[in-house]
Amino acid sequence: MPITVDSTDEVATATENTQSISADEIALYDRQIRLWGVKAQEKLRSANILLVTMKALANEIAKNLVLAGIGSLTIIDHEPVSGDDLCSQFFLSEEDIGKNRANAAAPQIRKLNPRVAVHAESTDVKTRGPEYFTQFDVVIITEADFDTISSINTHTRLSNRPLYATASHGFYGYIFADLISHDYVIQRDKSNIPTALKAETSTRSVIAATTKKENGKVVEIVTKRETYSPIALVNSAPLPAEHLKNRRRLRQVTQLLTGIRALWEFQRLSNNALPSQSRADMELFTTLATAKHKELQLPPETLTSEFLRNFLQNMGAELAPVTAFLGGVLAQDVINVLGGREQPIQNFLLFDAEESKAPVYALHPLMSLVVA
Amino acid sequence: MGRERYPKQSLGSLYGRIKESRILMVGAGGIGCELLKDLVLTGFGEIHLVDLDTIDLSNLNRQFLFRHEHIKKSKAMVAKEVAGRFNPNVKLEAYHANIKDSMFNINWFQSFNLVFNALDNLEARRHVNKMCLAADVPLIESGTTGFNGQVQVIRKLTTDRAEQSATIAIRRKLRRLSPSAPYEAHQVNPYTALFGQRAIFSPFGRGNSRLTDGSEIFGTSEDDAPELDHGEDSENSREIEKLKQEAQALKLIRQSMGSPDFARKVFEKIFSEDILRLRSMEDMWKSRRAPEPLDFDKVSRQASEVDISVAQKDQITWSLPEDFVVFSDSLRRLSIRLHDAQAKATDGGAPPVLTFDKDDDDTLDFVAASANLRSLIFGIETKSKFDIKQMAGNIIPAIATTNAMVAGLCVLQAFKVMRNDYTSARMVFLAKSADRVLSSEPLRPPKQDCAVCGVAQTRLVVDTSRATLNDLVEDLLRLKLGYGEEFSVNNEVGTLYDPELDDNLKKKFSDLGIKGDSFLTVIDEEEENPRVNLVLSISEKSLPVDSKPIVHPESIDIARRARKPLALPEDALTNGHANGIGSVTGKRKRSAEDMVPEDEQPKKKGKVVAKGDDLIVLDDDTSNGVIEIDDD
Repeated sequence: MPITVDSTDEVATATENTQSISADEIALYDRQIRLWGVKAQEKLRSANILLVTMKALANEIAKNLVLAGIGSLTIIDHEPVSGDDLCSQFFLSEEDIGKNRANAAAPQIRKLNPRVAVHAESTDVKTRGPEYFTQFDVVIITEADFDTISSINTHTRLSNRPLYATASHGFYGYIFADLISHDYVIQRDKSNIPTALKAETSTRSVIAATTKKENGKVVEIVTKRETYSPIALVNSAPLPAEHLKNRRRLRQVTQLLTGIRALWEFQRLSNNALPSQSRADMELFTTLATAKHKELQLPPETLTSEFLRNFLQNMGAELAPVTAFLGGVLAQDVINVLGGREQPIQNFLLFDAEESKAPVYALHPLMSLVVA
Repeated sequence: MGRERYPKQSLGSLYGRIKESRILMVGAGGIGCELLKDLVLTGFGEIHLVDLDTIDLSNLNRQFLFRHEHIKKSKAMVAKEVAGRFNPNVKLEAYHANIKDSMFNINWFQSFNLVFNALDNLEARRHVNKMCLAADVPLIESGTTGFNGQVQVIRKLTTDRAEQSATIAIRRKLRRLSPSAPYEAHQVNPYTALFGQRAIFSPFGRGNSRLTDGSEIFGTSEDDAPELDHGEDSENSREIEKLKQEAQALKLIRQSMGSPDFARKVFEKIFSEDILRLRSMEDMWKSRRAPEPLDFDKVSRQASEVDISVAQKDQITWSLPEDFVVFSDSLRRLSIRLHDAQAKATDGGAPPVLTFDKDDDDTLDFVAASANLRSLIFGIETKSKFDIKQMAGNIIPAIATTNAMVAGLCVLQAFKVMRNDYTSARMVFLAKSADRVLSSEPLRPPKQDCAVCGVAQTRLVVDTSRATLNDLVEDLLRLKLGYGEEFSVNNEVGTLYDPELDDNLKKKFSDLGIKGDSFLTVIDEEEENPRVNLVLSISEKSLPVDSKPIVHPESIDIARRARKPLALPEDALTNGHANGIGSVTGKRKRSAEDMVPEDEQPKKKGKVVAKGDDLIVLDDDTSNGVIEIDDD
């Protein structure tokens, strides 16, 4: 008796991208392919990533990306391993003290996944011109001061490459993303209301929507575009309007945003040094923080001396659970961005581990509105 | 300078306590590897880790302490060796063992300042949860699936239990799709088709008639069995006669194993004859598409060009001829294996068994191809082998990044626990949202009507060679704790005492099999204002002959339940495992029949018996060989 198969379309599409990843790789990456699919895995496999400064946060990011099976990872760091580096880094041991940090970590990173090419460079990334960055699909800069991030961001903008910047200070940290313009796809059950191709927020718009049938359900494939700003503009940008016009939401904005802006300003004024616990530094930092808090139009009472004390106490420290969290979030975002799926970070994430909070604010200059 | 600088700087005085702490970590898998790294780097003084598992290739994409050369080695041992190098100041102790082993008793749990659960297995989680509550040690529970994850602090009388960790929710969902799902479900989706095909494993086992008639898959659970008795007696005997014929037909098929006709016989039985018979029940197909049987000759002609290597293409959805080729080739491979196993089997030993295992390609091929053939018959969407492996093996997607985030969050909550700062401790979830990546809520006080947290806990020191159940019931519960007439005493086997089951009162603890480090649950059944369930953890000790054989060293205030008495719920902590109460020994005055848990009932011939949550045993004693399907 005849059998009809009514899912011929899917059989056809499934056949197209058959097995271009080897069976061995599918077995190795089984549990993640089940999450993001073979196509995203193939994109990962051909991605070249640059990771700047090999400290605790970069250890986590390198581990996560290399395990996931990216094509190549280049780590660049011009400094030697110090005793402090052993606190929260797991690619190093005592005998590495004095060696270049990138060179010391590279062999351990390679062991995580022999399929990934790991390159170590011991030059100062600040000596690199814009063309250097074109060889990478994503640039990740860790533990840098504002000026360094800003100058590399200028290069990544010129070479049209997505950039992430991240840093941690003990219990606190941030992730900044400038993906310039990033398209990604989400799948969802088709709603009764047709999906309009229009702006969803001041940075995000829907640029395409198609449907397919899956398990008898109509699934909608929606392509969205997020538009970004460079860090030079983000650093002086106001909070999004939905915060500014709502006092309750303004009161909930984390003091850490103020803290990071004040820190960047402090470093600019003090030749990139971090604030110490000296009275002079604390006074200067408090003054800067108060000004930044005001600039952000945040209620003065939401900036507390307790927070400022804690923040300064944590300056420059690396805590394994904090870097593990931030490195996990950042690597996950990079993986999704490479695979062209899921909402990416837009554009400033702050992690306060004491408060168990990690809000994301879209910080853009007022004039930059999306053109869909 | 050096290793301790940053933790000291950020943690201040807490760092001293961390250095002195003794920590238990249960599970060295996805979350476990990440957690161990964070704990070791942070400088927790002494870390014990327990894991029963060995390393598998599919672990290497996220369990970064393990490499190719570690495959098949103990996770706990390798994790200790690799993570130990991250910080030589930390003392590590690894156990390649099951956390439910008796060596890990309450005293042992009490020797830790803090316990981390990094398990993917619900049963072991519950056990650790129970032990931590009994030992009064704070527990940090965590779970991940895909991009989702959560962390929760659990402390006796301080917080409630993780009610629905992401993993637990997923597992429950899968369990609902178990073979005992209603008969009507069998053509709804690929899951049900799939479970059907796992049951069809019977050609290799002793098999039984009902497994291959149209209802083989879903009609064989305990629930459906009584249907046989509904009709007239004559109909019943006809039914029985039919069953006998079925059994005979199957036996013949099994006997032809290894012959050139074997694939044809199995195929025609399952995909043609049984389907035709099912199709003949016209009432069933009034409102839905009738199944279309498959024709062996026709399909095998179509399949003549297909190479058997198609079985390795696990990403594509096979066509009907491809399903057919994989079906017959895997049948051939399995026949050879069973034949070899039978040849090697010694007399008197257990008959050889082929077990479904998602990592055993022969069995997976057979299940995948058969599931797809069946799906085609019922007009259900077919699936790739890769997808079927996930469904059949209960595989949960797992990635390094989620585990790293969750492990980090576990340690951050641990800091709060070690500061004894439960007001700022949080239950934390990873959130997929554009405006935050975390959501959190404050810890909630225990809920009286939650089966796990709404219980009272206390510890008894018992001389089990002298103490009788009466000592417990009269002296302790009635006289000392003020219980009335209506209550029951239960353990994981069943009810030991209630007002109508008093045979056991004279018996000693040792005669009743109540040992040290076990639990008893007292359920107050008074109409008015009953107490919450009371969990007694038993410590065994020889007590002086002239003293009382049961000592209750601590005082306890047992809260009253707000609502009606609880029947012991499915996942009652107090009862260890599902299904509640059966009678242990002695005659009951009340009918106990309906309370006997399914897996305590004598297994009936020719039944698919659902054992526990996940284990399906196809049991029949008429022939030689049984198939167990374990979807671990």
